[in-house]
Order: sequence, then structure tokens, then C-alpha cells
Amino acid sequence: MIDLILTRYHYIAAILLLAIGLYMLIAIKNLVAKVIGLNIFQTGIFLFFITTGMVTGGAPPLLGPHAEGPFVSPLPHVLILTAIVVGVSLTAVALTLIVRIYAEYGSLREDIIREVRANE
Amino acid sequence: MISITEAVLLLLIIGTAIATMLLRDVLAAIITFAAYSLSMAVLWLLLRAPDVALTEAAIGAGVTTILFLVAISKTLRPSTDRVLRRVDWKVLVVVGLFATVMLLTVPGIPAIGDPAAPAVNNEQVSQYYLDNAYKETGVENAVTAVLAAYRGFDTFGEAVVVFTAGVAVLVVLKEEAFT
Amino acid sequence: MSADRRLRPYVESNVIMTVVRILSPFVLTYGLFVMFHGAESAGGGFQGGAIVAAMVIMLAFAYGMEPTRQWLSNRLIVLLMGGGVLTFAGVGLGAMVLGGDFLEYLEYGSVTASKYGIELVELSIGGIVSAALTGLFFAIVHGFEFKRGEEE
Repeated sequence: MIDLILTRYHYIAAILLLAIGLYMLIAIKNLVAKVIGLNIFQTGIFLFFITTGMVTGGAPPLLGPHAEGPFVSPLPHVLILTAIVVGVSLTAVALTLIVRIYAEYGSLREDIIREVRANE
Repeated sequence: MISITEAVLLLLIIGTAIATMLLRDVLAAIITFAAYSLSMAVLWLLLRAPDVALTEAAIGAGVTTILFLVAISKTLRPSTDRVLRRVDWKVLVVVGLFATVMLLTVPGIPAIGDPAAPAVNNEQVSQYYLDNAYKETGVENAVTAVLAAYRGFDTFGEAVVVFTAGVAVLVVLKEEAFT
Repeated sequence: MSADRRLRPYVESNVIMTVVRILSPFVLTYGLFVMFHGAESAGGGFQGGAIVAAMVIMLAFAYGMEPTRQWLSNRLIVLLMGGGVLTFAGVGLGAMVLGGDFLEYLEYGSVTASKYGIELVELSIGGIVSAALTGLFFAIVHGFEFKRGEEE
């Protein structure tokens, strides 16, 4: 059990981050805090992916003339680079929608917005 | 085996994430999220991923924090006397179940840093890219070679996604006459 | 109910203006450096584009949104964004015209031509990312001011 934790600690940390992000997404009423939770969820997944490509004592995947030894796998890095940029695009569009919602309803809390819509 | 640096960094990351979850004031949560993002950038460095560390520091701790701050800058912030949120127990139970189910899959994953793991030791994909990137494309950075040459079509799709996000923002804000 | 606080986004401060004026050429040069060095060491289009966008946003915070918006006209942002996508597509389709697959750099000639093709692609990605993030920021800020004028 202890041996399991000592050799797979990054995966456990990634799952904890997924749980924290999911809690923020579901339980918090403020819309901007939900988007923050979405970002924490995304970084948990990035941690999971980059840990799978890691080699102990390896070098970063820069193949200069002096580089030697086992390299870490470059494929997860490429995937996560794309995912980070797509994540910021997603955050930007979500925040724009929140700006429009605030202009229409005057509040950033989802229960108040739901009440206002139910009364219309 | 875990080193002291990694252990302290992981504690810092989990600590700032929990602080972001529990702080009631949204501005404080955004600043804590910037600290969390910068700690993640240092963790990418320890995991031998310098490209990802640069991107996370520039985009996560830079641009995302600025966008959040702009989004709440013109809204009213109700001042409160309580610092921490009230924890919702029902959601905590559901999230705990989710985390338990995911943690049950951890023993099936190979250990961290195992050189014989299938993600690293793959003859057709990872080892092929590392061996032939300089000969076939002329660049020394294996990540750029994979990004621009071997998997260039995905990168093209992603550049179009960024472009589409810009267009979507202009449409939602009714500013089609942007020029 | 206790009093509500409204944040003022633009604060005229001599410290911020001086620091940003001194830092901005160095940071913009660094962003361009990171974009160009994607082929040899860590870096590339995404990182350089994000650094340039963050620096332009810092300029907007220091000197006010409207002056920066007029200096960096909307047409330039749209040109960079559209030009970046077209350059990327052009490099890819050019390889198809010469008889290969999409983005097969070796059709352009030697391995050196392949490296220059990859550099051009990285620069176009940098242009797209920086223009898109800057345009997003200005659109959100302008959208706020527009709506507030409408309500009053």
C-alpha cells in the first residue's frame, strides 16, 4: 500500500485535482468560480498525461548535439500544448457569455438568475 | 521514490487548489488560482517538460488570470464578513465517490518513470519520433517536430479553434463590425 | 446589508506607467525570441504568442484601454489573425501543389527547406495566438463599456 503511494503519487494528486475541480463546478453558485473549477479540472488531466511520458533520470526531448541518455516521450507534451491553448479559448468564450448574462440579469449567481428567469 | 522538492510542490499545489475552492471572495479565488497555475508550471519543469512549463506560465498564470479579472472588474462584489464558504456535504459525497472509483484504477497504471512503460517504449511512435526527428525535419526540438511536422494537421485544427474563439466572442458581444 | 464595493479597472499611477514603459521593449523582444527559437530549444509559436499578448494587455492596463485600442487598430489585429491562418494553410497546400501530402515539408526540397517551412508555420501560429488573445481582451472590455452606456 505504501509502496503503491510512493510509486504513483502524481496520479493520486491528479485524481485529487479532478475531484476539487468537479466540486467547484457543481457546488459553487457563482458563475466565474465555476469556470475556475473547470480550469482546475483541466490541469488535473494535464498532470495525468504528462506523468505517463516521464522516464526517471531522463532528459527533456531536446535533441541537440550534446543531448544523451534516455529521453522522455514527446507525444504527451504535444497533446497538452494543444490542450492548454484550447482551454484558454474555452475560458475566454465562457467569460464572454458570463459578461452578457450579467448585462441582462444583473447577477452572477446561478440561483438568482434561475429565479429571475422563472418570474419572467 | 519521491524527492523532497516534489513532495513540497505537490503539497503546495493541492493546498492552493483547496484554498481556491474554499475562499468566498471571487477576487481572492482568482489570485489564488494564479498562484496554483505558477506552481503547476514549476511541476512541469520537474517532470522534464520545458515547453509545457513555458506555455502554462504564459497562458495559465498570465492570460487566463487577466481574463478573469477583466470579467469581474465591472461587477458588484458584495462584501462579506465570512472568509470561507460553507461546504455542501451532498456534493462532497458524490465527488468522494467519483474520486474513490478513479483511485481504484491507479494500481493498474505502471509506476512513474518506468522506462519500459508502453507510452515511452513504443517502437512505432515515441522512439521513432525521437530517433528520426532531426534527420527528417531538420529541427532539434522533438516537440516542435511532432507538433509542426508529424502531427501538423492537429496543430492546424487547433489554430483554427483559436481563430474561431475570437470570432465567437465578437458575435456574442454583437460587435460584428469589429474593423 | 453591508455596502457593496465596485472595482475601478483603470488607476492612473506613475509607478505602473514607468515600469511598463521600461519593461515593454524587452518583453516584446523576448516574445519574438521565443517564437523564433521553437526549432532549437524550448519555445515555439504558442508560448511566444501568449507572451506578446500578455505584454500588450499590460500596456493597456498601464496607459488606459482607449488609447491602446486606438494605437493598435482593430484592422491590424484582424489582419494578423486571418493572415496567420492563411499562411499556415498556404504552407500546407503548397506541399500538396508540389505533389506530396498536406504539410509534407520534404516536397519543398531539402531538409533545410523543411526547417524554414516549420519556422514559418511557428511564426504564423504566434501571430494567430497573440492577435486572438489581444482581440478577445479588447472585445470584452469594449463590450462592458457599450452595455453600461446602454443601460444609463
